[in-house]
Amino acid sequence: MSAPAIKFDLTAPPVVKTIGQRSLIVGVVFGIIALVLAFTRPDEFYRGYLLGFMCWLGLALGSMAILMIRHLTGGGWGMVIRRILGAAMRTLPLLVVLFIPIVIAVLEHRIYPWLMPLDAIQDPHIREHLEKHGFIKDAYLNPSGFIIRAVLYFFIWNLSSFLLSHWSRQTDAAGAPDNTQKFKAVAGPGLILYGFTISFAAIDWVMSLDPSWISTIFGLIILIGEVLAAMCFAVVVERILFDYKPMSEMLKPDFVHDHGKWMLTFTMVWAYFSFSQWLIIWAGNLPNEISFYLKRIENGWGTIALTLALFGFCVPFAILLSRPFKRDIRKLVWLAIWIIVIRYLDLFWIIEPNFSKSLSITVADIVVPIAIGGFWLWFFFRNLAALPLLPAYDPSAIEVIEPPHHHGGT
Amino acid sequence: MAKRDPIYGIMAEFDSAQALVDAAHKTHEAGYKKIDAYSPFPIDGLAEAIGFHHDEVPLVILIGGIIGGCTGYLMQWWMSAVDYPLNIGGKPPHSWPAFIVITFEMTILFAGISAVLGMLALNGLPMPYHPVFNVPRFSSASKDRFFLIVFSSDKKYDPVAVRNFLGAMNPRSVSEVPS
Repeated sequence: MSAPAIKFDLTAPPVVKTIGQRSLIVGVVFGIIALVLAFTRPDEFYRGYLLGFMCWLGLALGSMAILMIRHLTGGGWGMVIRRILGAAMRTLPLLVVLFIPIVIAVLEHRIYPWLMPLDAIQDPHIREHLEKHGFIKDAYLNPSGFIIRAVLYFFIWNLSSFLLSHWSRQTDAAGAPDNTQKFKAVAGPGLILYGFTISFAAIDWVMSLDPSWISTIFGLIILIGEVLAAMCFAVVVERILFDYKPMSEMLKPDFVHDHGKWMLTFTMVWAYFSFSQWLIIWAGNLPNEISFYLKRIENGWGTIALTLALFGFCVPFAILLSRPFKRDIRKLVWLAIWIIVIRYLDLFWIIEPNFSKSLSITVADIVVPIAIGGFWLWFFFRNLAALPLLPAYDPSAIEVIEPPHHHGGT
Repeated sequence: MAKRDPIYGIMAEFDSAQALVDAAHKTHEAGYKKIDAYSPFPIDGLAEAIGFHHDEVPLVILIGGIIGGCTGYLMQWWMSAVDYPLNIGGKPPHSWPAFIVITFEMTILFAGISAVLGMLALNGLPMPYHPVFNVPRFSSASKDRFFLIVFSSDKKYDPVAVRNFLGAMNPRSVSEVPS
């Protein structure tokens, strides 16, 4: 195999470090406010923390999933953002540290009703349910089980991330081995494992906020939200990098078009899963199932539900049908930013109605996600600066360095 | 009836996809607008090279999809709420959430059918006769040869000039295509 001719420098532009430093400043400033909230309004703090953690965890895990899809399918679209996805995936060790406050919340018996003594539970429905079905608390929802499972999830995620980035790093230098088969060997089982682990994690961390409610598709709704957020995040980062070399040389309209198609696909799958859950519960009309939606439609929460349907699905769907829009990174980036906001709103709408009967947003719901985001982005941009923006000696790098203009079969 | 030109156009034969794309670019830039290209497989950038930008198939699909969606919804509404109302789980006969899945499926079905039929219609298919097949060598367009034609209906068309122009691009052969 002949080494591809690299006509330009592949190191990340200095702007990456600048953004990283600014993110750290934001993280520290908001982190201090968050810390004050942690002591003055601990309950609100932990709710906001869970919301923020789920948002940023989603970018890391979603990026890992898209990276695995690329390893299985190939394609220039994935090569051009491969190091962006990789940098997001390699924030998983940081997310282990960021998980500590949630462990503290569990150990202090906060936010999760199954941790509380029965008479301390506000919602009569949940109290009655836990009274009747005590085995749920004993067998599955208990602090040690919660922590052991979390360790297992993070172990699996970090192991996949470590292997993929380790082999990816080998292909930066000349004479690199062809790791394509190794990537595939991890990506296939990795995607299946991700499906299982994120489903269990979604049950443990989010769905158990209301232990009386069950939905078998809930894990997949969280999963697709993460993948959608990650695709949009990659589009935002590629837009920032597009003003500088080497991304300005690497990013072709064909690749942007593919990223736009992924956004459309994931938006539709998210709508499909969310609608399926709602349709089944609506059709069944059972008291212990509909409580989830009643809480999220009544007392003002319906505004957010409607916003999610209209501006999370209808409008992005209609816009993403346009071919010229999907091919223009300068336009696509705005929709990507908007969908990331929608991802936050969706998680807010899933998590917060467990705590508040009527529509309300606390300071912690905004400050804490920004604080976590500051640190996460700092770590992300640090990762992004650490490696070249393309693994130049990977056999697939040729698809980006010399895009196939005139070959058949496509 | 307008008198039909006995010559349909002048066609050049090339050895590679690259040569065809380059030749198509040059011909289009030289001011010949009514041109077409033939190859055994799809070639990225060839459509742009012959100046083909306007693709109406998506519009046909969109219209088909909208018609399908409306048909699906109205069909269910008429069946469940007008023609034969049934009490299902105490829900009103006209319950839109229950209709969404079929509406969606009908949208996809009609859009898919529109895509196929629209593509055939806009391509003018089925077409039992096409002048390019009057050139015997053209049969290799489905194997390993690449063809570019300048139609005689082009404003700038001049048999000698076109022949010389195409001949200068190093083709394997240049032939006149009888109508």
